[in-house]
Amino acid sequence: LRQIPIVYTIRGCDACVKLLQKWDAEGVAYEERRVELSQAVLNEARTYGSMVPIIVWPDGRVQQGFEGTLGCFII
Amino acid sequence: MLQTTTVVTTHRFEQGLHFADFVAQATVNRDRFEQYYQDSPLSAEDIAFFRKAASLPNGPAKILALAEAWCSDVYRELPTAARIAEAAGMDLRIFLRDQNPDIMDEFLSNDGKSRAIPVFVFYTKEARYITHFTERSAAAHAELAAITKQVASEMNLPPETTFRTVPEANRQAFIRNLIARITPRFPDWRKQSVKEMRSLLSHALNIPDRG
Repeated sequence: LRQIPIVYTIRGCDACVKLLQKWDAEGVAYEERRVELSQAVLNEARTYGSMVPIIVWPDGRVQQGFEGTLGCFII
Repeated sequence: MLQTTTVVTTHRFEQGLHFADFVAQATVNRDRFEQYYQDSPLSAEDIAFFRKAASLPNGPAKILALAEAWCSDVYRELPTAARIAEAAGMDLRIFLRDQNPDIMDEFLSNDGKSRAIPVFVFYTKEARYITHFTERSAAAHAELAAITKQVASEMNLPPETTFRTVPEANRQAFIRNLIARITPRFPDWRKQSVKEMRSLLSHALNIPDRG
């Protein structure tokens, strides 16, 4: 079973930057997957949601966006 | 555009990508760029208008586009700009937003807080600014706001709920419902963008908005 969250991001997405800055400051371990780098990762992200950052927690829960900062649509 | 000086010189403009090169270098959404390019929203009257505008001595000769391939607003609208440029003999050059922050800074939206894309900037042959279009039309923005309010109401959320304020417990369903309503509106939103670009040029050039 996966032990750390996967987070789908885009470089230049303000909400993504804020989320990762927060997690880095808190020492949260995560696996970042950049959706703008490959169609396969973008397609994968689209199965979970429409707005990055998309967090897929180890228990399967999915979160989109970040604390009031508008994310980027990947529809 | 608030500032009077610009980083967009004729030389800088020529460093932008042609549409075909932009699509070729895109790592995502190439199928959608090609699909939307094939399905042009321009009417014969639209084409006549843009040709007439381009024929004026101070008319539009260049279109600068700020874009990133992952963005749905970009794959929806950029092919239209390519069609306008082709139909009216304008030179379209595309700059990647995240590699050209100095250009993006000249065209921020939302009171300077947002780097919304696409941006289409119309210039004269000498690279003098005429007007610009950002992201989606005012009509599409209004429709998005109305749909957002409707979805919030159906989910028994406060009517002022937005992406920013939706409670975490409702966020997934809220976004899913909203996207399901928005996506079918894309063909009309493209036509509304053309209408708005015509209106912007008509106003800036002081010419009637007809073909």
